[in-house]
Amino acid sequence: MSSCKNFEGQAIDYVCELLPKAQAVTFEQHLKGCDACTKAVQSLAVVLRVTDEAQAAVTLPALALQDIEMNVYKRLAAAPPMHQQTLRSRVRSYVATVSAILQGHRTAAVGTIAIALIAIAVFIGNPFQPKAALRLTRAQSADARMEQYRQRDIQRSLEEALITHHVRNDTWETASQFQRMKEQAHGTNWVKVANKHLQRLQPGVLNASNTTVLSD
Amino acid sequence: MDKLIDDEMLVAQFQSGRQNAFDELMKRYKSKIFSYLLRSVRNYEDAEDITIEVFFKAYRALGNWQPKAKFSTWLYKIAANLAIDYHRAKARHPVYALDDEDIPEAKLIATDLVSNPVKQLEEKERGRIIREAVDQLSPKQKVVFLLTRYEGLQLKEAAETLGMAEGTVKIHLHRAIKRLQTILRPLWEGDEI
Repeated sequence: MSSCKNFEGQAIDYVCELLPKAQAVTFEQHLKGCDACTKAVQSLAVVLRVTDEAQAAVTLPALALQDIEMNVYKRLAAAPPMHQQTLRSRVRSYVATVSAILQGHRTAAVGTIAIALIAIAVFIGNPFQPKAALRLTRAQSADARMEQYRQRDIQRSLEEALITHHVRNDTWETASQFQRMKEQAHGTNWVKVANKHLQRLQPGVLNASNTTVLSD
Repeated sequence: MDKLIDDEMLVAQFQSGRQNAFDELMKRYKSKIFSYLLRSVRNYEDAEDITIEVFFKAYRALGNWQPKAKFSTWLYKIAANLAIDYHRAKARHPVYALDDEDIPEAKLIATDLVSNPVKQLEEKERGRIIREAVDQLSPKQKVVFLLTRYEGLQLKEAAETLGMAEGTVKIHLHRAIKRLQTILRPLWEGDEI
């Protein structure tokens, strides 16, 4: 029988199926003659089985992730723009960049050119970051995406409210869903749609602010 | 969009200005990242917030991303780092939450108590004890354990994800399993498993 010391640490690798095939075969042969290692493997296997079962039980509800995209774009729209630079920081970064380029070759003539370049860069634009326009497009695009997801969200609320009304025939819940839809749709024409449905449901349900929106 | 397009191709499309490519990447990975984070932080709302943060960070950094590793590895790296930050912050400012009440699975069980209430409660309790045992691992042990056991990452991929040597990942995994064995042993010694 081989010494257990030769197989130290292999029990975990074996139960995790991390051992190369040849080593696994050798270890299995050792297990046949070693009760201690067999018990260790069995105990580890139980640990992994019960943790696997417990973790497998954690499942996501079907609708859990439907708002993730919209919330990502909301987060992007709310965040400050990337690499926003003040005039001072821009000058500093240009000086650093130009200094790095000119290291070891600092003549008066080249220095003059560098100063001219800095002045041009500060007042016209950043020649070392040509992707600024692309970043702007992306920021605008994030807003557009967020709006797109908001529209989808509003439409989904409308569908849910209609289903509640026609299938479940629950007037109170339908009204509260239309109210929620109105909040989501603030500033859009969807508010008028929600108001119309609310009026049909409960003629007196609209408050003064809603009436104002309608008259708009 | 064609599902056969690989992630790195989608990243290239995003980098050239095609916004839809990022949507497709989110669609592919939101469930995996959310599941991983839910297992890690064991709180539904926190897992959702961190998932949003993962994609937010990915979006902001993707413009300069270079395909040195797989996109999924990079995404898990962001998620793993945020999960570690979360656990560190929680360790500094412990909050005594309702625990498993936040996990959908626990809610599902609770709604099904009428079918076999005693068994359901026992299952729920056992699940809670086991998940709490995983919570007692150090942040690094926990992240290695979850990534390699439940996210299907090989040791090498986990090492890339966490910026560690493969040997270090293996050490964390060994320690995690040994620790779980120590914590959970009383359960089956008392015939509860």
